[in-house]
Amino acid sequence: MHEVLLAAGPLRHGTVPLGEAIAFWVLGPIALAGAIGMVLLRNAVHSALSLVATMGCLGAFYLIQQGPFLGLVQIIVYTGAIMILFLFVLMIVGRDASDSLVETLRGQRWAAALLGVGFALLVAIGIGRAVSPVTPTDLNSPNAGGNNVHSIAALLFTRYLFAFELTSALLIVAAVGAMVLAHVEREGPRPSQKRLARERIRSGRPQPLPGPGVLSQHNAIGTPALLPDGSVARESVMVGSMESQEERQALPTPSAGEGGFE
Amino acid sequence: MLAPYLPILLLFALATGFAVFSVGIAPFTGPRRYNKAKLDFYECGIEPTPQPMGPSRFPVKYYLTAMLFIVFDIEIIFLYPYAVANKALGLFGLVEIILFVATVFVAYAYVWRRGGLDWD
Amino acid sequence: MTHLLLAAGNTAVSTPSVSYHALAPIFIVLGAAMLGVLVEAAVPRAERFTVQLMVTIVGLVAALVVVGLLHGTRTTTPSPTGNDAFFAGSLSIDGVGLFLQGTVLALALVAALLVSERSVDVGSPIVASAAVVVGSADDRRLTTADRVQTEVFPLMLFAVSGMLIFPIANNLILMFVALEVLSLPLYLMAGLARRRRLLSQEASLKYFLLGAFASAFFLYGLALLYGYADTVDLPGIFTAQQTSGKSDVLLYTGLALLLVGLLFKASVAPFHNWTVDVYVGAPTPVTAFMASCTKVAAFGAILRVLFVGFSSAEWNWRPVIWAVAIASMVVGAVLGLTQTDIKRILAYSSIAHAGFILVGMVAITKQSTASVMFYVLTYGFTTLAAFGMLMLVRDPDGEATQLARWSGLARKSPVVATVMTVLLLSMAGIPLTSGFTGKFYVFRAAWDTAGPLVVIALLSSAVAAFFYLRIVVMMFFAEPPVDSPTIAIPGWAASVALTVGVVVTIVLGVFPQPVIDLASKASYFTG
Repeated sequence: MHEVLLAAGPLRHGTVPLGEAIAFWVLGPIALAGAIGMVLLRNAVHSALSLVATMGCLGAFYLIQQGPFLGLVQIIVYTGAIMILFLFVLMIVGRDASDSLVETLRGQRWAAALLGVGFALLVAIGIGRAVSPVTPTDLNSPNAGGNNVHSIAALLFTRYLFAFELTSALLIVAAVGAMVLAHVEREGPRPSQKRLARERIRSGRPQPLPGPGVLSQHNAIGTPALLPDGSVARESVMVGSMESQEERQALPTPSAGEGGFE
Repeated sequence: MLAPYLPILLLFALATGFAVFSVGIAPFTGPRRYNKAKLDFYECGIEPTPQPMGPSRFPVKYYLTAMLFIVFDIEIIFLYPYAVANKALGLFGLVEIILFVATVFVAYAYVWRRGGLDWD
Repeated sequence: MTHLLLAAGNTAVSTPSVSYHALAPIFIVLGAAMLGVLVEAAVPRAERFTVQLMVTIVGLVAALVVVGLLHGTRTTTPSPTGNDAFFAGSLSIDGVGLFLQGTVLALALVAALLVSERSVDVGSPIVASAAVVVGSADDRRLTTADRVQTEVFPLMLFAVSGMLIFPIANNLILMFVALEVLSLPLYLMAGLARRRRLLSQEASLKYFLLGAFASAFFLYGLALLYGYADTVDLPGIFTAQQTSGKSDVLLYTGLALLLVGLLFKASVAPFHNWTVDVYVGAPTPVTAFMASCTKVAAFGAILRVLFVGFSSAEWNWRPVIWAVAIASMVVGAVLGLTQTDIKRILAYSSIAHAGFILVGMVAITKQSTASVMFYVLTYGFTTLAAFGMLMLVRDPDGEATQLARWSGLARKSPVVATVMTVLLLSMAGIPLTSGFTGKFYVFRAAWDTAGPLVVIALLSSAVAAFFYLRIVVMMFFAEPPVDSPTIAIPGWAASVALTVGVVVTIVLGVFPQPVIDLASKASYFTG
């Protein structure tokens, strides 16, 4: 039954197979909403998530339009790319940073919105008019017999041979760039296991630091643990993320009321 | 034309149904005792990784790892069409793909030698 | 599902024939770049700088020699063999391409010497370690350390390889990849300044974000052109304009969006917004590299797109070129007048010069092609040397680029002041300098078809001349400031680079004919 539903007849001008139409009208609004949400949402993490939705829908569109390889690549690569995006968001914005969007040029946002909408209308109307008399075509012949990937390979290794090989240069530059911008090299040799162990024993505290206060009211690591004698273990909270001793001292202290392990 | 994807769609529907069912049924079957800790972030029982206390942020080394992942991810994407069509491409294709892989390997050698793959 | 992705095709693909010798300059530079990355991996830090410099110089010189040997080549590659479907070669090695490749390589060689200058600043103008947080204790220690982030050399070579491909790309997808190969290293290099690192990093981020935006325009245009012509080969697009029954809207929207991406790289107004901040933030030798080599490559690509792919649509794009040329000249000249920082003035001057170069593109003739090729060559050498001179005048915390700091410089160092004067006069287009001959040939080529545009160009070059001359007057006739900046003595590398720049500026002003003849002889396209 699905054969009939999903592949209803050959492609003719002005008609789209029913299955494709359903998929398009379901996914299209989601893709659009994701794109708009990415721009408008205040929270950077939500914004990144909207983009995931858009990218996923685009991947599905490629699948529908007879590009299975492209569709899956879209999904696979964007899994990684979205990960980068999230990291960017979390690195640059931090979890609770409120965004400070001070307009340095007054009214530029309105001007940009106006011009952007104008440009979009211009392009959309132009293209709408231009492609309406065009007869759509399909990929049946390059895809025949499951030849989709094979056809891509044939193009990649003949007509686009040089573009393909040049991509590797791009990948090198990306890797070198990531290293240059984000990798601080270790000065001196790497400390040996022996030296690390010795230092640890000599430090006067060979055992690990106490864990943070996992209390029934609070399990954030911002809450220090209580030692068996009831005193507060300040060293139980992460030092690395804290700028100074003052900040550690300013931590919330569990009061007797919420401190018990119920 | 969409027929080959039907199993995937069914799997999606099944997964969605399961998720919706189990989350939806939980409020009716389970006991309800809320406190602050239950609404907090949960990362498999360990402490949430580098908790941004105050203004601090995630270390940049996460970015390095993610970027390197993408680089080699894209390399693999290009290997796939070759693998499918390697018979048809013959010796020429083999030479070209080796050239491509060797080139990206230069990046790998650099990252490895300079300690980009060490996590400390 | 599996049969969609895993079916092994049995139809053999006939392998294309590649004329490797014609691509040798590109392979040499790419090979040198990869060797540079391997040097980073294998050679201990103490020797890296020397080895990298040698790899870079040898690579660029070898490529330049090969470009010379290839002169007169007319070929496109790779080309189909056997029973394969017809496709045009995606690279066309022809006179214009080889001339511009040679220009890029020569300019890159000089720029590489500027990058490797280690006498004027502690270590180098390049940062010791770009990943160290600005203002941290490590950062303060490394500012005065001898260490250099030597990755700048392979990155530069990668950028050069992109610039070698960009003007000979006959296929828009390859042109896009080349655009990225030349842009990505530039984004990184802009962030490597040793002094004022936050400004440099901001410049890098701005360049990256706006550059990515411009690339998106290019891609959108490419997609529309594919929709119109069913091909992304420039000759194919040309043929399609005669045969395609599709709406011209696709063609012109596609071309317009494509041009946005290209004009952005050439820093033509109104797509120039990134230029000034990036030029100021980037390390000065990198700025010199960007201002000279990127312009050559970008105008080469514009030349090829317009003259090969769209020569029959000339009447449609000519008004656009008029408009952006005028905008660029006016923006560069007028905003340049209001600046008080020499690096910013030179950046605005590069925007104005982009406008002058575009004036040469309003007519599709052999003469105009040659004049554009000649202009980018002369401007490249002059601007390289001018930015290089900025490295020499220093305050304790870096380069003294404030205009006021340069007043009375002639008393302190007549040589620096005189050399700078020659370069500024050339940019202003005063006779007996290469700037004059370049402008002369461009304007002459455009005169018949675009007389009014040439008049506007002359007027704006008169306005621009004012701010060049203002610097000259300040250097020679103003009182020096109390704590006048020091003049650094350049090492051998920068000395050679600056000498080459100045000598080319004067020689091409006095005796330009051989190079003009070469450009005229080389002004042919294949494809």
